[in-house]
This record gives sequence, C-alpha cells and structure tokens, in this order.
Amino acid sequence: MDIETLHLGPIKIKNKIAIRLFSALDDRLGVKEILDDEVFEKIVPAHLGFWSCFGGISFFLFISQVLTGMLLMVYYEPTIEEAHGTVAMIMNEVPFGWLIRGAHAWGSNLMLVTIMIHMVKIYVSGIYKPPRELNWVVGVTLFLLTLGLSFTGYLLPWTQLAYWATVVGTETPAALPYVGEYIRYAMRGGEEIGQVTLTRFFAIHVMLLPVITASVIGLHLIQIRRQGIAGPM
Amino acid sequence: MSSDTSTEGMDGTRRGFFATMALAFFGSVSALGFAYPLGMYLWPRERKVKGAGERSMKIPLSDVPIGEARFVRFLGKPAVVVRPNEQQVIALSPICPHLGCIVKWREKEKEFLCPCHGGRFDSKGIVLGGPPPFPLPPFSSSVEAEYIVIKEV
Repeated sequence: MDIETLHLGPIKIKNKIAIRLFSALDDRLGVKEILDDEVFEKIVPAHLGFWSCFGGISFFLFISQVLTGMLLMVYYEPTIEEAHGTVAMIMNEVPFGWLIRGAHAWGSNLMLVTIMIHMVKIYVSGIYKPPRELNWVVGVTLFLLTLGLSFTGYLLPWTQLAYWATVVGTETPAALPYVGEYIRYAMRGGEEIGQVTLTRFFAIHVMLLPVITASVIGLHLIQIRRQGIAGPM
Repeated sequence: MSSDTSTEGMDGTRRGFFATMALAFFGSVSALGFAYPLGMYLWPRERKVKGAGERSMKIPLSDVPIGEARFVRFLGKPAVVVRPNEQQVIALSPICPHLGCIVKWREKEKEFLCPCHGGRFDSKGIVLGGPPPFPLPPFSSSVEAEYIVIKEV
C-alpha cells in the first residue's frame, strides 16, 4: 500500500490515487502477479518476426468483426422485404454506416487472407509438428468456422449476388451421394431459398458461429500458452 | 518510447512531461475519432411519419357512433375521440399520465380505464380513481359539417 512507485514492466506509476486503486484490486485478485507473468515479464522468443504476426492479426480482425457486426445489427432487419433496404439505408443514410459496413465486409475478406498466411507460415515452418498437432487441428477448425461465417454472412444483404451464391453454395453439397439432398434441404430450411433460409443464416451468422468460434479461439490460445511458442526453424 | 508515462513528468524531467502531454493529446484525439462516428451512427434518425406535420385532423362524424370512442394518430402520437352522448364530442390524449400506457374506453361505464395499473378517468379525462396524478390532456375538438376537427389546445 505504501509503495512510492508502482512498477508494471517498463511503466512507472507515481500517482498516489492510481497506486491505491491498483493496490485495492491487487489485494483482492492478485492482478500484479498475472500481469507480470503473462504480459510485462513474459519473454517472447527473439526469432519472431513479421510472418509470426498473422495469427494475432486474424484474432484482431475477429474482434473487429464482432464489434462492427453488433453495430450493423442495430439497423439490419433479417426479412426478405427489409434486408436489402436496411443494408442500403446503412450504406446511404446512416451517418458513418458506410464505414461500419465497409469495415465488416472488407474485414471478412481480409480475415480469410490473414488466416491463410498464418496457415502457410505454420505449415512451411513445421510448427504443426508434435507436440502441436492438436493445435493445428483446432486451427483448421477455426478456418472452417470462418468459412462458415463468410458463407452465411454473404446471403444477408439479400442481393442477386447473395441469392445466387447461396443457390450455388447449397447446391454443391447436394451432389454428395445419399445424404446430399438432405443437406441441401437442411441448409435451405426447405426446397427453395426464401425467408426461412434468410432467418436461419442470420441466426447462424450472428449467434451460433460467433459463439463457437470465440470458444475455439480460446482453446487455440490456451494451447499456445501451455506449449509455448515454437522454436526457430 | 519513453517509459515516463506517469505524472513523474509534472515534477520530474522535461522529457517525461512531453511524453505525458503527447500521450494525453493523441489519446484524446483517437478516443474522439472513435466516439464521434459511433455516436453519429447510433443516434436515432428522424423517420417521416405520414401526416406527422399536420396541426389539425378531420374525422368523419359517422366514424364515431354515440357512446363509442375512436383511437387515431395525431401529431405522431395517439389521440382518442369519444362521444359520450349526443351533444358532446371530446378529444383527449389517451396516454395515461401515470406511466404512459394507452387507456381504453369502456362503453357501459362511460369511463376510460388504464389496463396497466387500473387508473380510471371519466369521459372528459378527469381522474376518478387509481394512481394517475393528472387528468388526460385534452385536444380542442369541434364539429364542422359532417366532420370532427381536432386541434392542439
């Protein structure tokens, strides 16, 4: 309590009120220990460079997608009468709506690019090798979840492009023997693409997949922390 | 980057002082850069409601039979026109002054009843019982030819 200077890694805090507030939190939760171990005194291998950043960038983009997605939900209406109109309204009438939707649409494309760079880096460096095979599997799961998010999000503006992309995307698994037609039926929520399809794609896009993806990202990060960052090639 | 991001700059080095000021300046600029678009985006926009700009409203007399009430939209808000007997035509705001529910007209009792907490009003909007602290606010109403005309008081 009566320390003169609070040391948080390279940061020195001398402000009395700030120190007392921090101490109050630290006494109850032991925050300093966690911050020192996990952030301020955490040693990162020297060989990490530009190409090691793309997992983190993908994570940042996921957070950005969640936040901009929440903002879009304020105005978007998932009905076949209103979907296209509300997206047009967000783009043309709502102040900075173009910015929020632009960030969401570009972010989704960019996220796939950064994930692929991340995967190529992990692959060519051989980082997927034991003991990290399981995290490769979790990572591929995250890639597939991101593809699912992209696919379901693509329909939501209810444009010609969105509609026909979903026709093609739901027709493709129908080519599977025996189960194909059932998969198409389940994806569309019926024989044709309509309100039911839009409603279920919306539910999957804004609730189901984001929650699953966030949890699996948690698994991905826990494994990295347990195993440490892989050594140089 | 300098490590003196504390108030050390205030009583300590010049370098620390500049670091603190620079951090405060760029911090506020970027906070504003996020807050302004976010606030603008979230602030509700004016929606054009049909007939919202009109200061008076006409209802055919035959639409409101004697003893009954008609609920209409006037000035973008609910309004009610009631004819408790042959002589009277009364226009009121049906928004209960207790907590804002819309009162309903009970033909038999010739009373307004608020379904939320049981506030009761007579046909002129005077409180008969229950929690409402004020009467129902009136609109001016008159009969011109075959129409009831409602205006703001």
